[in-house]
Amino acid sequence: MIKSYIKKIISVLLIPGMLVISGFQEKGSIYTCRNGQASFQSDAPLEVIKASSKNLTGAINISDRSFSFLVPTKTFEGFNSSLQKTHFNEDYMETDTYPNSTFKGKIIEEIDLSVPGTYKVRAKGKMYIHGVENDRIVRCDLTVSEKKIDVTAAFTVFLADHNISIPSILNQKIAEEIKVEISFSLTSADN
Amino acid sequence: MVHRKTEIMRKYLLFIILIFLCSITVFSQDLDQIVGSLTDNSSPDYANAAFKGTTIVNGQSTEIPGHMDLQFNISHRFGAINQGIYTLFGIDQGTTRLGFEYGLKDIVGLSIGRSTYEKTYDGAIKVKVLRQQTGVKNIPVTVSLYQAVFIKTLKWEEPDRENLFSSRLSYATQILISRKFNRNLSLQLAPSYVHKNLVPTPEDQNNIFAIGAGGRYKLTKRFSINGEYYWLLPGKTADDFANSLGLGFDIEAAGHVFQIMATNSQLMFARGYITETEGKWSEGDIYFGFNIYRVFHTGKRNKKGN
Repeated sequence: MIKSYIKKIISVLLIPGMLVISGFQEKGSIYTCRNGQASFQSDAPLEVIKASSKNLTGAINISDRSFSFLVPTKTFEGFNSSLQKTHFNEDYMETDTYPNSTFKGKIIEEIDLSVPGTYKVRAKGKMYIHGVENDRIVRCDLTVSEKKIDVTAAFTVFLADHNISIPSILNQKIAEEIKVEISFSLTSADN
Repeated sequence: MVHRKTEIMRKYLLFIILIFLCSITVFSQDLDQIVGSLTDNSSPDYANAAFKGTTIVNGQSTEIPGHMDLQFNISHRFGAINQGIYTLFGIDQGTTRLGFEYGLKDIVGLSIGRSTYEKTYDGAIKVKVLRQQTGVKNIPVTVSLYQAVFIKTLKWEEPDRENLFSSRLSYATQILISRKFNRNLSLQLAPSYVHKNLVPTPEDQNNIFAIGAGGRYKLTKRFSINGEYYWLLPGKTADDFANSLGLGFDIEAAGHVFQIMATNSQLMFARGYITETEGKWSEGDIYFGFNIYRVFHTGKRNKKGN
């Protein structure tokens, strides 16, 4: 009887203890990034359009390899004219209605991101652009060093996948397939 | 005793699993929260493009061409529709204004133009002094100041007498205040002042005040309906002339804005539509017309093969 009481007491003490410990572990296992870069290029027969944003933010948890990234769509700069940027925000991306583009999910490969090295991984998750969510797998290059993870990735986004419609008069000037490049550095949230 | 032990173990395991699950859900929420908290809110979030054109119907909007964008304007008003079938409801006649507008740093718009009416040249500067924005600063409206000068270049009626160049000049000053309420609805107020150096008789006003109000409602991404009214403050001008009312729509297509309207003003420069509107809607003195804006970007542009 006494033994079982002791066990109960231990379990009562242990559980909050574990919670605290796991809380600590989680804090150390989260890496974040504030000013990541996202750029895109539309390569149409008659015109090339480029724009980029330095406002990509994101976080990754190296203990379960989950991640979440966000770019405020309005922050893209570049374009060939200021009117083109206005059309990007007003007519195509509708940034008043859909302010953010996001990618959330998990790294498929079961790698330990606390070990320095370079890794080629696949990030699987939901890509949310222009109010439409798609399941995507994106290949990424990771360089892990002390308390820092550098990430680069290149992928394409089909306008049709995200319900972005281009007037037929412009289909020689805006590509249906947009090349996207992402690069950012994540640092440990402890710092 | 053994039985009891496994039962406790089982409960214990259940607890652990439960906590583990809890921590996972808390955790994935955390990640999104963390990302949200990292987002930089220090840069202002501008409410851009309250209007598609630099005019709403006849009158100026708060908008200016984008940085280094050169806009070519062709405006035309046909004759009054109450002339009937003989002039095909006014199509035979009309007045035209051709103009250029240029944007600097998304703040300053410069424009020049010439109207067929009294061979009037106009030059104007429009400065965006406030931009509607949220974020660090909360500014609910966009304010643009518009200053225009008009030069009448008709030959002097009496060349023999002493004619002063200043007699050809008149001016319009407007404070344009607009608010984009949402992606579709934008409204504007425009307190306006017109000064004429020379008026036909001593009774006519040299200084005329009016208040304009206008707005647009977008029905689709590239189509909006627009309306605009200029109310003349009581005075001789208000007695002799009508208040300007214009109704129309915008169609936007690949670097063009087409504005098609019906209005009782035949003149397309500020002094004209604010203080010299002769048509009366009630009598069918309505003019059909259009403004076509074509934007050319003067900076470098990425073309294929460059």
